[in-house]
Amino acid sequence: MLEVIRSKVERAERLSADEGLFLFRHPDVVAVGLLANQVRERLHGDRAYFNRNMRVEVTNVCVASCLFCSFAKLEEGAPGAHTMKLEEAWAELEKRMDDPPSEVHIVNGLHPGLPLSYYEDLLKGFKRIKPDIHMKCFTAVEIHFFAQLYKMTHRQVLERLRAAGLDSLPGGGAEIFHPDVRSRISHDKATADEYLEVHRVAHSLGIRTNSTMLYGHIETFEHRVDHLLRLRALQDETKGMQAFIPLAFHPDGNGMRNLPAPTAIDALRTVAVSRLLLDNVQHIKAYWVSMTPEVAQIALRFGADDVDGTIIHETIYRAAGSRSPSGLTTAQLVRLIQEAGRIPVERDTLYNVVHEHPRAALPEAALKVRDRMAARHLEVLS
Amino acid sequence: MGVDVSSLVDMAIRESSLDDVLGARRAGALTPAQVERIRSSDLLVLGALADRVRAEEVGDEVRIYTDEAPPGAARDVVVLPRVAGETTGLDLLREVAMARTTGPRGVCVRVDWTRCGLELAQIALGFGANELAGRMASKRGLPLAEGEKLGVGKKSRLEAADVVKRRELEGFVRRAGRTPAFVQESP
Repeated sequence: MLEVIRSKVERAERLSADEGLFLFRHPDVVAVGLLANQVRERLHGDRAYFNRNMRVEVTNVCVASCLFCSFAKLEEGAPGAHTMKLEEAWAELEKRMDDPPSEVHIVNGLHPGLPLSYYEDLLKGFKRIKPDIHMKCFTAVEIHFFAQLYKMTHRQVLERLRAAGLDSLPGGGAEIFHPDVRSRISHDKATADEYLEVHRVAHSLGIRTNSTMLYGHIETFEHRVDHLLRLRALQDETKGMQAFIPLAFHPDGNGMRNLPAPTAIDALRTVAVSRLLLDNVQHIKAYWVSMTPEVAQIALRFGADDVDGTIIHETIYRAAGSRSPSGLTTAQLVRLIQEAGRIPVERDTLYNVVHEHPRAALPEAALKVRDRMAARHLEVLS
Repeated sequence: MGVDVSSLVDMAIRESSLDDVLGARRAGALTPAQVERIRSSDLLVLGALADRVRAEEVGDEVRIYTDEAPPGAARDVVVLPRVAGETTGLDLLREVAMARTTGPRGVCVRVDWTRCGLELAQIALGFGANELAGRMASKRGLPLAEGEKLGVGKKSRLEAADVVKRRELEGFVRRAGRTPAFVQESP
C-alpha cells in the first residue's frame, strides 16, 4: 500500500482513512517521514515559521475534570488556584514592551464565577497597551462554556469578544474527538461537535483558528485518524483553519499518571501522518513545548513547517511534567531552525512574513564537529 | 523500524544516487568518494540507508547497558558522545547514521541516553543505532538510591525503582519497533 500512497502523494491526491491508518502502523517511521517531507517541501520549500508570542493563563480555576490535565483547580481558594487581576495580566505585556511580542495567546480554565466583561476588559486592556498586538485567545471549549454560562449563542459570544479585541482562536480543547475516548478523558466539557461548531461559526465571522489533537494516552490509531478526518472535513467546508498542532500527552500530576508519555518516535510519526492526511491545512506545527526543542527540530524534516513561538512563560505543560524550557528567545528559535537546514521565517499570527532570516551557514563549532566526524569515518576506512 | 524495508526507501536511496553504496558496503569496498556522498546526503535518506544496513548486519536487537557500559573496543564499538553546545539532535542522528553506514561491518553503534536524552536516543534507533547505554536515574537525572521505590499504577503501588525504569526503557525500545536485550555482564 505504501507504493499507492507514494504515488498519491506525488500527484497531491487525498489519502483515505485506511491509508492514514496504514501510515500510523507502518514500522518504518523514516519512510513515513520521507513522504511527509515531500509534501512539506512542496508547500513551503525550506521555510520554517515561528513568531514572537507570549502565553498568559489568567485563571486555572476550572469546572471541567479532564483526566489529562495537571493545570486546573476545581474551585477558587483551592491550593494552587489562581485568578489574575486584570492589571496583573496586562503587566505581563507591559514589562515586555521594550521588545514586545506580536501575539498574546490566552488559554484559561472554565471559571464559573467571572463575568463576560472580565474577558472583554482583558482584551481591551492589552489592545490599549499595544494596539497592533494580535489577541489569540480562548479555545473553542472556553467559547462554548461562555455561551452556556452567559446564556448566549456561540456567535454572540464571538461577536462580543471580537468587538473587545479578539483576533483569532487557538486550537486547544480538541483532545480526541471520538466519543469512546472523549467521554472517558473529558466528559464534562464541549463535545467534538460543539468544538467543531464553534470553529465553524468563528470561520463564518472571518475569525481564523488553529486546531489540535492530544495524542499518546488511551486513544488508538483509529481514533487519531478519525480526529484528523473530522478536521479535514471542517476545513473543506470553511477553509478557516490555519495550522494543526499535535500535542503530546504528558502524564505527571494528572488522572492518567499511570500511563507512559508518548515517545519521540510517536511524536515524529504523528507530525508526519498529520501532514499527509491534512492536505487542506497549510501549516503543521511542531510545538516545541510539547515535544522538546530537540525533537521539534527533527520534526522539521518529518512534515512540520512551524515551531510555534517564543511562548514566554508556558505553565500548562510544565504542570504536567514537561522538561522543555518555559520560553525560547528569537535567537534560539532562529538557530534551532537554521541548524535543521531550514530558512527561519518570523511570521505574525496570520502567517504574514515579518522577517525572513538568511539560511545561515552552520555555526563554526558545528562545522568543526562535522569535519571531525568526516575525518574519523575516513580514518576507519583507511 | 526497518522490519519492512519498503520500496519507497529503496527509491529514495536510488534517487539520492546512493544505491551503489549498499553493494559496495556488502563487498567491503566503500570508497572515500562514496563516504563523502553519504555524508552530504539528506538526513532522512541517510537514516533510511543506515536503518537498512543495521537490519542487514545486526538485526533488530537493541543491547541495553544500564550499569557500567564497556568501553568501545577499537573498531568494534563506536561510542557517540554528544558535545554540549556544539552539536544538535540532527547532528547526533547524522553521526549515528554515518557510523552505521561507513563504520566496520556489524559495528555496534551506541548512544548514551544520559547525554542526549531518551527522546533522541530512541530516534537514533531508527538511524542505525543498536546499543543504548546510561545509568538509570530519576526524572530529574538523580541516580537511583539503593532500594528506592516508585509509585506506579492508579493506586500508586510501590515498586523497585530500577524495575520501573527498566520497564520504561524496554517500552522505549519496543515502541521504536525493536527488541530490547538488557546486558548485565561487565566488560
